Amino acid sequence: MVASRTAFLWMALAAESLRGQSFSQRGFLELRGAFYPQTAPGDSGRAVGEALLRWEPSLQLSPSWKLNAAFDARTDTHRQVERIWRADFQDRRRQRPAFSLRRASALWHKGPLTVEAGKQFIRWGKADILNPTDRFAPRDYLSVTDSDFLAVTGARITVEHGAETLDLVVTPRLTPSRAPLLNQRWVLIPETLRALGVEDAGSRFPGRAQYGVRWNRNANGYEYSFVFYDGFHHLPLIEGELGARVRLRRYHPRLRLYGGDAAVPTRLATLKGEAAWFTSSDRTADEYVLYVIQAERTWKEWVFAGGYAGEAVTSRRNPVAFAADRGFARAFVARAAYTIDPRRSFAVEAAVRQNGEGTWTRAEYSHQLSGHLRATASFTLIRGEPNDFLGQYRRNSHGMIALRYNF
Amino acid sequence: MNKQLAAVVLFAAAALAQDPRQIVEEVQKRTRSQSQRYEGTLRVIDGRNRISEKRWRYERLGSFGDSKAVLRFTAPAEVKGVALLIHNHKERSSDQWMWTPALQRDRRIALQDRSTRFFGTDFSFEDLEERDASQYSFKLLGEETVNGAACWKIESRPVSTKTSQYTHSTLWIRKDIYVYVRIEGFKGSSLVRRIEYSGHEKVKNIWTARLLTVFDAGRNSRTELKLDRLEYDVTDLKQEDFTLQALRRG
Repeated sequence: MVASRTAFLWMALAAESLRGQSFSQRGFLELRGAFYPQTAPGDSGRAVGEALLRWEPSLQLSPSWKLNAAFDARTDTHRQVERIWRADFQDRRRQRPAFSLRRASALWHKGPLTVEAGKQFIRWGKADILNPTDRFAPRDYLSVTDSDFLAVTGARITVEHGAETLDLVVTPRLTPSRAPLLNQRWVLIPETLRALGVEDAGSRFPGRAQYGVRWNRNANGYEYSFVFYDGFHHLPLIEGELGARVRLRRYHPRLRLYGGDAAVPTRLATLKGEAAWFTSSDRTADEYVLYVIQAERTWKEWVFAGGYAGEAVTSRRNPVAFAADRGFARAFVARAAYTIDPRRSFAVEAAVRQNGEGTWTRAEYSHQLSGHLRATASFTLIRGEPNDFLGQYRRNSHGMIALRYNF
Repeated sequence: MNKQLAAVVLFAAAALAQDPRQIVEEVQKRTRSQSQRYEGTLRVIDGRNRISEKRWRYERLGSFGDSKAVLRFTAPAEVKGVALLIHNHKERSSDQWMWTPALQRDRRIALQDRSTRFFGTDFSFEDLEERDASQYSFKLLGEETVNGAACWKIESRPVSTKTSQYTHSTLWIRKDIYVYVRIEGFKGSSLVRRIEYSGHEKVKNIWTARLLTVFDAGRNSRTELKLDRLEYDVTDLKQEDFTLQALRRG
């Protein structure tokens, strides 16, 4: 009797606490096919099929509290996705997990203070081409030119005071960028090494936490920010071990970064700049400055953005690295997007290395077929020399078709 | 004596009412509220009569000259969560930022980009900011009847501190209840956009158009915005709900 009364009381309390809460959700099911006209040295496959189901629920518990989550379930034909029935939270494995908790965070705010803890997306920087200051934004680079962001696990505290915002971030564990798979077309292994036999020896992850601070000011008509980061690079360096076969292991060098960004609208276009100095106490890691200068303009149904992504090496230590961010530097980059009508759009983007040894161009057409359904077709053309980051992928030009059902 | 006084008051009111600035300021005065919230249903009808629907939720805090607003798409699923933050100012054009949840990034909408259509609707970014009387000069063009209602026809031109895609606009204001029934925005002599206000209802003592129809002359397309669940002087809105962090919180 007492138990049933207690249960009733709990139910009444739970019902009361749920009052005023609001649940919202969105998501999509996407089927995607990529078609490669050419085979690559490590990959004879010409077609890759993928299916991804993403569900993003959120629950507003009270005016101050909100829970956010996102779940992914995926599969593919090319073993980029694991064939293991387990849910992944850490995003540290070589392949994409078949089931993953993409985001899981609790957000609390009161007055000028916002605190978000858990697995979350943190995006810093103002440029669109390349974001040197975006340090808590690892990516999935299994297909290098079609990368997607990964969330990091940690706490973010944001204080907003008038036009100024202070962002403090701590992530106890590094979430690495997912590097291309050794046995697939986005890793080019020299013929001599390939003859010896190469195997992936996994990753060596650092144990220490990452810290970051960003101060941003939205002034009258322009904005700027300064960034400090202390932790590890989410892109790996690679060390080799010679035995019966060559064993390649990824590791993440220490990184201390000083950077900033600014956006200034002028009469003709919005000018954006972003720069960061990457320093490291690791003797195998380069120290360098990455910077971006771009102009952006909207004209009728067109959006244009173009600029230059530059790099200056301050201390060269010649590591073997998968440095996708530096790979798109020393390049002129441009994007033009045209909205044909509310249902259809077209975009072209390109990166051309300043020495002309690598180019990447993508054209994309997108068509909303119904209120929920969108089809997208794109073609990526990659050209260049084998010693260039972009040029090495010259056999990876590909077409892609995606059909997405949004709900 | 009383009759004479009434005649003088009526004459004075009529004389004042012929001052176009005072007419527009009276419109502002009569629509002034501390805050506003509505759920908007949009039907975008393109030149070939193809229709797409969207919904947004609009919240405003403050009134003319010093208001802040957030507009957040709630449907369709593809654009759900996309939001626009507007900080209106008395002495200059508004500041606007757009939040795109798929990118987890906010982007300031530069002044020179305000003539762009807002997310596939026929509203431009500029049309979504408030039209404070202090930012325009006015000229009374005459009187006209629109949909059976007697209206003042007034020309407005932006002052030098106001950046606008329109060189001038023509406003039609109903004489009986001081509300806009039509605004046409021009670039030189070419019509750029026409906004029709209809279905006026009194909500919390404020005459409000429940249906806005925006016609984009360049594209020959129109967007109908229907205002549902309209509230004024909402008590649960706070300043902290109108910041970039609030956009991110969703």
